[in-house]
Formats: sequence, C-alpha cells, structure tokens
Amino acid sequence: MKSYKIIGWLAVLALLVAVQPLDRSVEYDRLVLGLQQPTPWFQIAARGSAGDTELAVTGVTGVIVGAALGGFREVAATMLWMKTHEYWHKGEALQAKALWLMRLVTLLDPHWLEPWRVTAWHLAYNLYVETDDPALRAKYLQMGVDCLKEGVSWNPDRYDLYLELGWTYFDKVEDFEEANKWFKAAMLYPHPEYVDRLVGHAYERMPDIPRSLDAYDYCLKRDPQDHTAKGATLTIRERYLIPWYLAEQGKYDEALAAINEYLLAKPNSSLGLHVKGAIAEQAGKLRLAYDTWKLAGDISQLDFLAQSKAVQLAHELGIETEDTAQYLYMQKVGKDLKVSMPGRDTMAR
Amino acid sequence: MMRPIFRVARATFHEAWRRRFLNGILIFAILIIGSSWVFAYLQPGAELQMIIDIGLGSIRFFGMLIAVFLGTRLIPDEIERRTVHTILAKPVSRAQFVFGKFLGGVATIAVNLVVMGIAFYIVFAIKAPQFAAAKPEDALIFAAMYSNIAKAIVLAFFEVWLVLGIAVVASTLFSWVLSVIVTFVIYFVGQMADFFQQLSDPERGASKLAQILLGTLYRVLPHFEIFDIREAILQGTYTPWSTLLQIIGQGLAYLVVILLIGYLVFNEREV
Repeated sequence: MKSYKIIGWLAVLALLVAVQPLDRSVEYDRLVLGLQQPTPWFQIAARGSAGDTELAVTGVTGVIVGAALGGFREVAATMLWMKTHEYWHKGEALQAKALWLMRLVTLLDPHWLEPWRVTAWHLAYNLYVETDDPALRAKYLQMGVDCLKEGVSWNPDRYDLYLELGWTYFDKVEDFEEANKWFKAAMLYPHPEYVDRLVGHAYERMPDIPRSLDAYDYCLKRDPQDHTAKGATLTIRERYLIPWYLAEQGKYDEALAAINEYLLAKPNSSLGLHVKGAIAEQAGKLRLAYDTWKLAGDISQLDFLAQSKAVQLAHELGIETEDTAQYLYMQKVGKDLKVSMPGRDTMAR
Repeated sequence: MMRPIFRVARATFHEAWRRRFLNGILIFAILIIGSSWVFAYLQPGAELQMIIDIGLGSIRFFGMLIAVFLGTRLIPDEIERRTVHTILAKPVSRAQFVFGKFLGGVATIAVNLVVMGIAFYIVFAIKAPQFAAAKPEDALIFAAMYSNIAKAIVLAFFEVWLVLGIAVVASTLFSWVLSVIVTFVIYFVGQMADFFQQLSDPERGASKLAQILLGTLYRVLPHFEIFDIREAILQGTYTPWSTLLQIIGQGLAYLVVILLIGYLVFNEREV
C-alpha cells in the first residue's frame, strides 16, 4: 500500500476520534438548550411495538416512519391527528385505536396543546360516560388527569393545560382543592381573566367561604367592573358568610339554624347544601351531614363532591352504599374528603 | 493550486443549472414553502409552529434531495462522457478534481437554499404576525424567531453540504442507483444516530457485540439530527452562536473525513 494511502486512512481515523469530544459537547448543549427532538424515536418505536391493534401500528409505520426519515414531525402529527378524528367518529369499535393514535400524536408533537386537551377530554368525559362501572370510570378519570399532567410537564410556560387540568378536577373529579392548585398555576402566565374567577368558584363549592371571598376580592381589585365577582361576593356575604362565621366560632347550632333559614327559601341550593353539610360534619353531626350531602347528590347528578362525601360518610356510619367513581378516585390517590375549617379571623369581613 | 479547483467548480456550477431535475425540485420546494400557511390551519392553535415546521423542514428535505441527485451525478457524468480524461490530462490532480466538483455542488446548493430561504422568510413575514397576534403568548416568542430561523437555515447549509459530500464519495464507489440508495440510507440512519446510542446502551440490555457494533456505527456516522434546531425555534428558546459553531465544527470535521475518503478512493479508481 502506498504511504499516502496509509497516511490518508490514518488521518480519517484520527479525525473521527478527534471529533468525539466535540460530539459530546454538542450533545450536552442540545440537551441543556432543548434542541433535541421532544420524544426520541426509540421511545415512539417502543410504543409502536407495544401496540395491540393492527390499525394503529399501520398508522405508525406509514406516517411516523415517513416523518422520522423526512424530518416533518409536526406534519406527521397533524396527519395522524386527522386520522384520530376519523376513527373516533366511526364509533366505539375504533375508539381504542383513536386514543392510541392520539397518544402517539402527543409523543410526536408534545408542544401542540390540542391533542393533550382532546385526548384527556375523551378519557375523562367521553369514555367515562360509556361505562357504568365506577372502578372503570375512576380509571378513566385518572388517565385523563395523568394525560393532562404529562402535557403540563411539556408545556410549563403556558396557562392552557394548567387550566384544562384544573377544570377537569373542578368539573369532573370535583376535587376543588386540587383544581385551585392548577388554576393558580395557570394564573402565573398570561391568561384570560375568567381563570381568576374560577378560583373563587372552586372555593365556593368546596366550600371555603373566606377564601372564596378573598379570590373574588382579588378579581374586583384587578377589575372593579367585574360583575360576576361582584355578584358572587354579594351572594356569599348574604347567604353563607354568617353561617360559616358562626361555625368557625364553634356555634354550630346557630350556624345550622342560619343556613337552614336560607335553605327554607331555596331548598335545592347546591351551595347552600354544601355549606350545611360542611358545618354538620364539622359539628360532628355525621348523620345530618350524610343526609345533607346525600340530598345534594340526589338533587344534582353532576354534584360529584356531594355524592363522594355521602359515600364516605355512609362508610363511617355503616350505611350500605355504592361507591362512586369520584370516591374511588379519591381513595386511590389518597385524598382526604374531610372538611377542614381552620379558625380564621373572619370578623374583619 | 486553487485555480484549477475554482475552474472545475465554476464549470460544475454552470453545468448544474442546466439540469432540469434541479429546477423541478426547487420549484416544487418553493410551492410547498409558499403553501405552508394553508397547512398551518390544520393545527389550530399552533399555526406558527406548523409554518416553521413545514418551511424549515422543506428547506432541509428538498436541499437533501438536490444534494443527493446532484452529488451522485457530478463525477459519473464526467466519466461517462469521458470528459474526465481531458480534465485530468490538464494539470489538474485527482484531488483538485474531486474538491472542485464538490465546491461546484456546494455553490449550486447554496444558491438553491438561499432561494428557498428567501421564499420561507417572505411567507413567514406575511403570515406569522397574523398567527402570533391570534395567540398573545406566541407574540412573546415571535421576536426571537427571526434570528433563530436564520441560524436554522445556516445549519441546513452545512447539513446539505455534508449530504453532498457523501453523495460525491458514494458516486466514486458505486453505480448511480446504488450511490443514491447508499446516500439516502446514510442520511436517514444519521438522522436517528441517537437511536443507535440508546440501542448500544448496556443498561438497556445491549449485548457486548451490539455495544461494539452499534457504538461504532454511532461514532462513525454523521449525526444529521444535530443540524435540526426547529425545536428551539418552536419554543422560542435562544440558541447561542457558540453552540452553532460547535455544530458547524462537527459538520466540517465530518466533511473533511468524507472528502478525504473520496480522494483516497477516487485516486485508486480506473477512469
């Protein structure tokens, strides 16, 4: 072999060795600066091979591999997203496949908010109503919430998914404490003003009357013309503040008398019943609390908090009952449903 | 020493523009880039991201196509037409010939990418402010996008030149069809270099043989994915020039390796 060839091939080898530290440095920068693709291909491939439906895997090989090779990740995500709608609307048989593809879209383009939102909605709302099994419903709730939490982890600088997660807790799980945690997180970023009011609404339903007033107070300071916050403040002060204040003072009988006075006029008031149930529970009148929460849950099929509380109290009182999905969910995540009424100074109000 | 190289490069550049398929790819790329704002409506709430993905994706993809089809024809055409004998008979060494051909290809691709880049900037400048206005949070990251896009296009230049280098070298080794296939395979496999690193990880259960084979593959193959900074653009993250220079440095190092291999192979080849 001629000497120039030997030198040439040695130079090739030397250059390949020399480029390795630079490669490590570039890899480090790409990781730290977020230049890497959001979900590595091996993770998507792993999910593809774990797929249990033939159609889903076909979708993966056709579109995703094409996108992987061509570098059009978002285009592939969009194409798959359109396919998911097609599957979903074809009916129950294809919904699992649609959800499977939706999950792949979130992997392909995790910074696109819509797929997180819609996938979680399908799980926590649409699949939820398609079964009567509370355990399965609880599982769908958990899946919906987990989906949004993962979405939040990808998009921590935008209010959208914090709000969506808070709303799922607010509307579907009725874990208002958790809902407020996420609404408040949404408020840290540019957001529509109704998010601020949702905090007040959640405290109102919990119920935590002083905190709901604080939340509405914040809304009014931000915008004195906020009619919703103004109306809510007036209503709370007029209906619930006095019973709540009396309960905080330990004057439970007077508190119950005060809220009953209001309930005489509006016996089906959901919030009134919530306040009464909370006061009764705090007073240790568990049977009364159970009856109140049960009534609230029976009046509104969508009052999941009242239904969960009724189930919890039924268990404590030894009353036979059927567990609800929300109760099972709360049990699963180790959430305490007990009402806490710390002695706050409400006299200033 | 440089004059023969530039002469070969200039002749290659002029000849390249007579190739109709190149013009066809360029026109098609401009059409796709120009219509990216239409596709943007398919991703409600993420229109800006879609424009960037399609625009920059097209520049990279069509640039790569041009590099493959141009690069694999540069030297074989000279051999088939036997003009290579005339050129090499003049005081032009084989190294100067290969490098000159490559430089001619580089200039051709540069012009193509500049045209595509301008087309993309026009679409972006017209459409992006509308989409950014629709979502206030997009407006916040909008300002950083212009400079990041310029950086992405600069990186696309180096990526495509690397593909061109591979295509030129492949064409000195294989027939035209085979060299096209080989270049595509190296490009696509290089796009997923991370994958090989993961597969060779002993913590993921890779055998000793897999560690050696896949680890070597990872170290030898150019990492094309490093030239893609779309993720940073989409997120509005600032990409420092120091990082860009490192990426370019890595690309240039691979380019030198590839051209050196090309020279070593072509020097031994019967023409």
